Amino acid sequence: MVGKAEPVNGSVKSGSNQSIPATMQSPLKKSDLIPNLSLKTLKLKTKQQELLIRVSILCLVYVLAFITRLFSVLRYESMIHEFDPYFNYRTTLFLTEKGFYEFWNWFDSESWYPLGRIIGGTLYPGLMVTAAIIYWLLRFLRFAIHIREVCVLTAPFFASNTTLVAYFFGKEVWDSGAGLVAAALIAICPGYISRSVAGSYDNEGVAIFALLLTFYLFVKAVNTGSLAWALASAFAYFYMVSAWGGYVFIINLIPLYVLVLLITGRYSMRLYVAYNSMYVLGMLLAMQIRFVGFQHVQSGEHMAAMGVFFLLQVFFFLDWVKHLLSDTKLFQAFLRITVTTAIGVGAIALGVGMASGYISPWTGRFYSLLDPTYAKDHIPIIASVSEHQPTAWSSFMFDFHILLFLFPAVCLISAIAVSATIKNLTLVARAKSKVTQTGSVRGSSSSKGSSKASLDQSQPFQRNGAIALLLGAFYLLSKYATHCTWVTSEAYSSPSIVLAARGAHGNRVIFDDYREAYFWLRKNTPPDAKVMSWWDYGYQITAMGNRTVIVDNNTWNNTHIATVGRAMSSYEDEAYEIMRSLDVDYVLVVFGGVTGYSSDDINKFLWMVRIGGGVFPVIKEPDYLVNGEYRVDKGAAPKMLNCLMYKLSYYRFGELTTEYGKPPGYDRARGVEIGNKDIKLEYLEEAFTTSNWIVRIYKVKPPNNRW
Amino acid sequence: MRSKPESQTFTASMEPLSSGSVDPIFHLLRIVPFSFLRPPKLRLKLPTLTLPSPMTVYALVLLTYFMVVSGIVYDVIVEPPGIGSTQDRATGSVRPVVFLPGRVNGQYIVEGLSSGFMFVLGGVGIILMDLALDRNRARSVKVSYATAGISFVVIAYVMSMLFIRIKIPAYLS
Repeated sequence: MVGKAEPVNGSVKSGSNQSIPATMQSPLKKSDLIPNLSLKTLKLKTKQQELLIRVSILCLVYVLAFITRLFSVLRYESMIHEFDPYFNYRTTLFLTEKGFYEFWNWFDSESWYPLGRIIGGTLYPGLMVTAAIIYWLLRFLRFAIHIREVCVLTAPFFASNTTLVAYFFGKEVWDSGAGLVAAALIAICPGYISRSVAGSYDNEGVAIFALLLTFYLFVKAVNTGSLAWALASAFAYFYMVSAWGGYVFIINLIPLYVLVLLITGRYSMRLYVAYNSMYVLGMLLAMQIRFVGFQHVQSGEHMAAMGVFFLLQVFFFLDWVKHLLSDTKLFQAFLRITVTTAIGVGAIALGVGMASGYISPWTGRFYSLLDPTYAKDHIPIIASVSEHQPTAWSSFMFDFHILLFLFPAVCLISAIAVSATIKNLTLVARAKSKVTQTGSVRGSSSSKGSSKASLDQSQPFQRNGAIALLLGAFYLLSKYATHCTWVTSEAYSSPSIVLAARGAHGNRVIFDDYREAYFWLRKNTPPDAKVMSWWDYGYQITAMGNRTVIVDNNTWNNTHIATVGRAMSSYEDEAYEIMRSLDVDYVLVVFGGVTGYSSDDINKFLWMVRIGGGVFPVIKEPDYLVNGEYRVDKGAAPKMLNCLMYKLSYYRFGELTTEYGKPPGYDRARGVEIGNKDIKLEYLEEAFTTSNWIVRIYKVKPPNNRW
Repeated sequence: MRSKPESQTFTASMEPLSSGSVDPIFHLLRIVPFSFLRPPKLRLKLPTLTLPSPMTVYALVLLTYFMVVSGIVYDVIVEPPGIGSTQDRATGSVRPVVFLPGRVNGQYIVEGLSSGFMFVLGGVGIILMDLALDRNRARSVKVSYATAGISFVVIAYVMSMLFIRIKIPAYLS
């Protein structure tokens, strides 16, 4: 043990020097090939031992963070998950093939037909550029690797880097023990894993690393007051802005932190240097991203940072004047005037900016922070995104486990709680053994020994209690690790594009219908065909099917999406008019009635109605409900039974027996027998249905010849 | 500190400033209305802004944490019932159901509040354990803190595990 090695090395040094040749001789006699590798013969000092332990723990944590995210790669294959990552993959592919200038100026006419999308100006390039740089680096070292592998493994690689940053952050705020615990906790935290699992090639995978790096560098800059660290944090902020739209939280959290420091009286020159450099340089760098543009001076969400910037200037000015003036009464009067003037001018400037429209008000996404019900009532497309749903307590428990207990113990940094508690407990546990050591070896410290012994006598069970508590703490941490691994394996490692289920005999059944359908589209349709589907599948169709889509996951044009929603919710003849006006050739729907897949288009249908109804009042949600209830069986509303989505999902389904003992046309996802079994399509014909009926593709017939 | 000079200036402004103020508006006001108008003697005091004590802030933070972790945002948006109910098939009587079964992302209000309370209890237990190690307290107080702390953490952990197992029967299997 580290504690015990010290007196041995310190007091018996001469002995150990002599003992080494003795111990070295016998293994040499036994065998020249087996070296004697005990720590004593390596003669490491305590500091070197500590460094070795720390480095080895960090290496283990680094590897752990990487491998715990690899479940889906091992179970299925190395592929991109979900929906948004397919867009990122397509743009990265374009970047590596055509180069940066083509990428930066790219106008894509293959999505949002007929509008097109300015991709170069509406994306955050950080993720794509990072993956491309890693790809080019590996290619330069002559590793012939495909860009898809790089994309799949980018997120776990950056998760490992995040643990390193967490270690340095913990070390900066408390000490290296807290840093190690912070790194270990963040390596397996399920909340983080869910966004950075292998295959989830999304902005957050890189952005969380950039976020933690920005915070760490800024805290370091405030603590040291050095210009170098402040500029480093500005560049980290630039990386954050280039990586994710959530950078707005950074540009508001850092000013909030500075504001709290000012309120609690911790203004200093270091803070001034750190925030000024970071804000000015960070803002200028952020404007290089076309998508962000001039938002740092124009958008209401960024005004807090500017306000704090001016407040800091006022603080500095007052400090300087106080330094110049010797008269305190004069200074009080000057203080009052300056504060009133500054507040007045600031308020007038803000008022003029907002009234003239130069400073835009808060957008819907951030306004929901103030009023959570805003999106539900006014913007159904924001409310419908599954990631925006409000969190119930069980989701918190699922994602954080014991970190929920540790959070109140020390606000925001639970690693401090664990580290401090464990440190206190180990100190108490070792106090008794240290007393006996010092008491026996050095007689001169007998007074010290006796005082410590008296303390020990007053609480005889203290050492045992401390050991018991230590064991308790380790038990909790081990339960946390078990929980995290279980959650990662069960809940967060599903690629979403490949579905798995348990068969009748417990064997695993894989449904690869999505990729089957997209491959059919790629091979069996003309290259200029246009596909209409709900916006969820747009990115996948463009990336894998290589066909033009009408709407996709970018959801930048609500009216266009509402047009598609209206088409899906109308009768077939009205829908045909809309589809002819949009030049649609194929319609794609997702149907889960045969497999029991519950995320299909019939379950999402009410959102289509709401979004369509939000723009076209002719679509009314109560038309599709019976007594406020959403049904697809015989008792369903007549408009529901004859709308395009219903017809396309259940075409020929009435003849199919899905489950033993149930009538034909039994929908396994809704658990009812469908109402309208005899469906005839007039303007569309069925082009392709996948093997498990999950994806169904229909061809839009051209208009009849009149003669 | 910003607040202290402000309070001094406010007490200073009560007495007539004959030592000469640099404020031009003050001088203007001294001449124009107040040379012939006599202001009444008021006993008003502007409220002094003091920073709240750390314990107050911490109590507020703990309260906010409790509300967030109980899923109050979910309650406001989705408006679930306070407690669910199911009808007993045999007798027809209505039985209450505390935990919304089957889904991780849904809850009833009372269920959320009780789980949030367990989390806060666990946190308070850890703090009590840390306070019990402080040397400058009486022994009986330290012992009671330690017992309370340990029991809180154990109860909170066991109850949280129980709750999550009721909600997700397949937990850790």
